[in-house]
Formats: sequence, C-alpha cells, structure tokens
Amino acid sequence: MILKCDLHIHSCLSPCGSLEMSPSEIVKTALEKGLDVIAVADHNTALNSPAIEKLCRGTALTPLFAIEATSSEEFHSLCLFPTAERAVSFGQMLYENLVSLPNNPEKFGDQVYVDENDNILGELEKYLTGGAVSFSSDRLLELVHREGGLFIPAHIDRAAFSLTSQLGFIPPDPYDALEITNWPPPEGVGNLPLICDSDAHYPEDMGKRFFYLESPDKTAEAILLAIKQGRTRLSIAK
Amino acid sequence: MKLKSINQILGYETIVENSKNDFFSNAYTSDLLSDVMGNAPADSVLITIQAHKNTIAVATLAEIRAIILCNGRTAPDDMIEAAAGENISIYRTDDNQYEASWKIKGLLDGE
Repeated sequence: MILKCDLHIHSCLSPCGSLEMSPSEIVKTALEKGLDVIAVADHNTALNSPAIEKLCRGTALTPLFAIEATSSEEFHSLCLFPTAERAVSFGQMLYENLVSLPNNPEKFGDQVYVDENDNILGELEKYLTGGAVSFSSDRLLELVHREGGLFIPAHIDRAAFSLTSQLGFIPPDPYDALEITNWPPPEGVGNLPLICDSDAHYPEDMGKRFFYLESPDKTAEAILLAIKQGRTRLSIAK
Repeated sequence: MKLKSINQILGYETIVENSKNDFFSNAYTSDLLSDVMGNAPADSVLITIQAHKNTIAVATLAEIRAIILCNGRTAPDDMIEAAAGENISIYRTDDNQYEASWKIKGLLDGE
C-alpha cells in the first residue's frame, strides 16, 4: 500500500511550536489533510506522544513517535520510534542530558505537555531548542538503534542546525535516511534513503511537504523498515 | 567599552546597533550555541560564524550585548529583526574569528 507520511511535526511542547498545536488539533488536521502516517517530533522530549497515541486509536491515522534531538555537534536529527513508550523514555534520557538554560516562555514560547483532552499536565523548564545533549550524533545513533528506532539527520540542507551547516559534509555513518527540504538533495547523500516532511509549527503547515511510502501494511515496524529500504517518493522531487 | 567602537575603531560593518545596551566588558568566541550558553560571560560580544536567529535567542539568555559575524557571513532578515527586538547589536567583518578575537582583545585591553 502507498502511505502519505509527515514525520516532522512540532507540538505545543516545542517552544517554537504554536500553542494551537495540541495533540488533538494535530490529529484532527492530519486526518483533514489526508495523511496516513504522522510523527510529532518535539525538541529533545517526547512528552506529547502518549496523547497522540491515544487520539490516533480508532482513526485511519498511524502514529510513529519521534524526537528532534540536538546532538553535541548541534545538528538536529529525527529519532523515530515505533511506540510512544519508547519515545518517552528516550526523550526523558535526552532531556536529562540536555545542556541548556531555563526557558523564558514570554520570549521564546511555552513548553507544555498535555493529555488527549488538551489539559495541561506540565511544563518543561529547560529551553529545548537552545542547548544540546551531551552525546555525539554517532552515540545517539547507537542508542536509537538499540531501542529499535531509526536515526535520520533532519533538514540536512538548511543553514542552521543541520549536518551540512555544522560539519560541512555528510559523514559515512550508518544513518537510516536523510531528511531534506529542497530539491535536488545536497551533494554526498549517496544511496541513503531520503524523506521530506513539513517541520510544521502551525496547523496550516502540516503536510505542506510529505512523502509517499510503499509499505506492505500499516504497522509501525513495517513502516520503519520501508523507510530504511528507501521505498519513498518525495513531494518536493522534480 | 562602547559597542560602537567595533564599527568606529575596527571598521566592522554595523548591521544592527542598539543604543540601549551599548557597553561590553568581555568577549567570547564560539560556534556552538550550547557552549555559548554554558560559558560566555555576561556583557560579552560573541565572535561567531553562526549567522541565524537562534544565535540571538541564545545571546538573550546569556546576556550577550553584540554578535560579530566573521568571514563575511551575512545576517538573514529574521536574525536582524530578532536582534532589533532584543536590543542586541550585530556587526559584520571579513576577518576570521582568530583575527576578530585579537582585535576585540586589543580594544578591551586599550581601555
């Protein structure tokens, strides 16, 4: 089957994500936009994953659970997990090892996690986008693989917080795929699978970039494997 | 030291100049924003090539007064806007970070 995927969506938990981006709003908008597979990817935490998991039950949507991690080299990577539980515990570990300063919500935005009914459960204190976790990207990649997840450097063609902006080249690490935002892809992507996502911070931006995935079924495991196998077709491809 | 010396004495191009926080007493050179957050002294100028608006957010948290963009890098519009909103100045130079660090040290030592 062909699945329409957007695996990089920010919720209200990211300081840069709009407060409108509650899990219920994300699920509702994803269904309206005809997406089949979504992943919320907040910065260095996954505390909105449980609400997303609950809200997707009984709908046509298949959720994966992501975190946009900032490794010590300060480039962003999507850590993509099959279950909310694994994402939450990985996010907990990232947050504990995040070197950052306290957030200033008035200046940078709120960092709230909520339940499936949009009730605020709590707020994170450390500024999630300003710092970095004390693990190098290759160490993070190892840890993600150990948890059965995929490690995908994010928006590698951007001028900030990307593999190319921070390192200047694409190292020969065993990445599962690379996320790009423009066509053609930068030099050095080799044969790695490519994906593209919206990186939405507001509901209207969801699905503005997406990719089609050819997968035997809608289970998280099959979807992760199909990404690794590069069975993707990008909305931005010319 | 007055921030405007960076333009008047060193000849660095002024991109945004704020009169509100117009003094600096220290400097820090780094391209890793987490390192800046952890180690940059307050009232510093930050010597960097990270020309994007996230640098302004970090500068705000670390009480940095100005950013010096080296190697001729240009500040994107959203960075300029953020700096103006946060009363942080931005200067630009073709010098590399080593040269800029030397010159800023000279300014501070000459006070």
